Amino acid sequence: MTVETGTPATIVDTIQHEIPGIKVTKQGERRLRIDVARDSLPALLELLKGRLGFIHLSAISCVDWPETDEFELVYHVWSYERKTLASAHITIPRNPGRFVSVYDIHTPAGFYERDIHEMFGVVFVGAPNLRPFILTSWGGPPPMLKSFNTREYVNQTYEWVDYQPDWLKDVEAKGGGVEK
Amino acid sequence: MRPENYRPVSHPPSHEYELYFGPNHPGIEGNYAIRVRLKGDEVQEAIADGGYLHRGFEKIMEERLWIQNVALVPRICVPDPVPMEECYSRAVEQLGGLEVPARAQWIRVMMLEMSRICAHLFTFGGNAATIGFYTNMFWGVSMRDLFLDLFEEITGARIYHMYITPGGVRRDLPEGLLDRLAALLDDLESRLPDFEDLFFSNTVVINRATGTGTISAEEALAWGVTGPNLRASGLPFDVRRDDPYLVYPELEFEVPTMKDGDALARMMVRKAEVLESIKILRQVIARLPHIEGPVRCPLPNPLAWNIPAGDTFARVESSKGELGFFVVSTGGAKPWRVHVRGPSQMHAVQVLERLLARGRLEDIAQIMFSLDACPPEVDR
Amino acid sequence: MTGSEKVPVVTDQPETCRVADAEEKSLLRKVMDNFADHCRSRSLFVLHYCTGCGAIELPPTITSRFDMERVGVSPMVTPRQADLLLITGYLSVKTLKRVILSYEQMQAPKYVVGFGSCTINGGMYWNSYATVKRLDQYIPVDSYIAGCMPRPEAIQQVFLDLMAKIDAGKATAWQDYYLNYDAYLGRQMNLFGQDWHTPTDVVAEAKHYGYVGNGTTGEHTALLDQRATWSLDTVPELYPARGRNERSRP
Repeated sequence: MTVETGTPATIVDTIQHEIPGIKVTKQGERRLRIDVARDSLPALLELLKGRLGFIHLSAISCVDWPETDEFELVYHVWSYERKTLASAHITIPRNPGRFVSVYDIHTPAGFYERDIHEMFGVVFVGAPNLRPFILTSWGGPPPMLKSFNTREYVNQTYEWVDYQPDWLKDVEAKGGGVEK
Repeated sequence: MRPENYRPVSHPPSHEYELYFGPNHPGIEGNYAIRVRLKGDEVQEAIADGGYLHRGFEKIMEERLWIQNVALVPRICVPDPVPMEECYSRAVEQLGGLEVPARAQWIRVMMLEMSRICAHLFTFGGNAATIGFYTNMFWGVSMRDLFLDLFEEITGARIYHMYITPGGVRRDLPEGLLDRLAALLDDLESRLPDFEDLFFSNTVVINRATGTGTISAEEALAWGVTGPNLRASGLPFDVRRDDPYLVYPELEFEVPTMKDGDALARMMVRKAEVLESIKILRQVIARLPHIEGPVRCPLPNPLAWNIPAGDTFARVESSKGELGFFVVSTGGAKPWRVHVRGPSQMHAVQVLERLLARGRLEDIAQIMFSLDACPPEVDR
Repeated sequence: MTGSEKVPVVTDQPETCRVADAEEKSLLRKVMDNFADHCRSRSLFVLHYCTGCGAIELPPTITSRFDMERVGVSPMVTPRQADLLLITGYLSVKTLKRVILSYEQMQAPKYVVGFGSCTINGGMYWNSYATVKRLDQYIPVDSYIAGCMPRPEAIQQVFLDLMAKIDAGKATAWQDYYLNYDAYLGRQMNLFGQDWHTPTDVVAEAKHYGYVGNGTTGEHTALLDQRATWSLDTVPELYPARGRNERSRP
């Protein structure tokens, strides 16, 4: 595991040299934000992992943006040597919500992609396992979509406690009530 | 049993069979299940089955105000709730540009380390119980209870404190608490040799746990293992030191590691971490009385509190590993998206499945507990 | 929801089942029942099933500091030997299925305690799509502990209250499940889908215990009987497909 040492400036230089048209911003100490075209993402992750030591995939986050009709996927990779977290942001169209899996680069992606598939309905091509994990009893739409209204669903599905039942109304009509 | 539902069990000629391990099973940590395919008592394949504790946190957090979510986050991981509060609060602080006063930072470190000790004592107990050492469980849980008393004194709650809020902590420490904490630390330290005698240097335990669920250093890195489990494989990585937050750079502590990466090494790392946490807490006790000032920065009206648009990824070292919160704000009164990255999301699913597939039926509980997997964190 | 004033109406009893009727409840039998209730209340086995976050306060309750064994309450690993089912907090729909399976496996008399606000009205997960808002719609509940999360003292108090209730013969929520099984099953079906069924023949048990009421059978239990083929495989999530099992009874 030999890694070129250097300051974040060299990380930025390396990335920008290898993948043109990429936007790298330094967001505070030990944080890099990378905005990249979606087609370049696997290459970027390979580059970060192979040449710059970003071997730990911390998380993949998905954000739903209904206004632009897009999903934003954020790949957080951490380098134990450089002590830097790089967050690579890409956007994919919501329809079809489809992207390539990065499981072959980072094993932890298997879980996150499965989770995003379950919660947002994004399909990751090449992912080893997209079977339901958490929502095996769920028949509705992917619940994390902004279009899914959980409050409405709850009102339709579950019954609330009736704090004013009929028998209590009768009792109250006769001047009684619940002792407080 | 309805007679029509009765069905004789037939074994295929390979003598392989499937077993449901959990969710209603004493060998499982929390409410979680594993479907194992067995040949004799050798596990051929393990499939983790989660979601029993799913509450849709990430969805309901989008529906609540920034300050309301402080009450929700500790519930994401039940045995170790304080890092959740810290992580969420720090994400909000980073987005909102809030500066945490020095005194609050020290108090937060104190809370985090106390919570780490609690979680580790709890894990000692659980780990011991999986191989039949119930005495150790009783000791661990009752020791932890003394810390819960202090938590209760500080925050008013034993488990879910909701004490760390964006911008600081809810209120200052009660008078004389640091003395009581110091006395409790002495007490804990004096009892650790008993744990050592009974459990950690017990030949039965050592024989049982050596070589169980071994993760090599390469595998640990490739599988995304973090926290004590990673350090048990010999890699000295700790978010507190590598990506420091609060006043950890000012504190002296070591990152204990072990070489073997098996269940025994993972227990030993946790034991050493308890000692390190005691060390950190003693430094806090020495420094905190000299740090004056407020415990919270001035906050706007929490009911009409808009956080500037942006996104941030906050990381904290919880007792189980790297905990991350990815928070996106669109400038509104509620978060647009909160993504929780719990360490157990790796440990309890992919890592567990891979480790179990090399093990035997009787090791399942021990492997799961030695990874300190926290199902509510997986399910969210 | 707890307890029912309805007098059990016994209909269609097969000869083989002994029926507890009013005449049989002689003085001696009342004494025996009271004695049995008294003994029962002194030895409660709690099913070891951590359904939610309230379970974190159970180890302190069980272990040396609060030591619930001194009042005769002890954990038990299998549902068939347990008396008491603790619903420790919120229930996701997925867990609720397992809880119902476990509850039906338990031998009567059985008791249920709901922990925390989540079992009463959904608690702080009131707007969560995943958790059940009212536990008592799906299984009968004897006692609740309010708050989040209940302290060990509160848990011990509920044990003592429950013991007093059992001793007085008032912890009868389990009978309600037999007497109104159709309503419970209907609400379970509304949530889980019309295919929902459990391996336990609750109606037969109701007959066995002599708690067949007007609500024991109805449109939903008829749905169970109407199905020509009965198979565990209709709940694939619980029982992966392995071939169908034909209904043995015509």
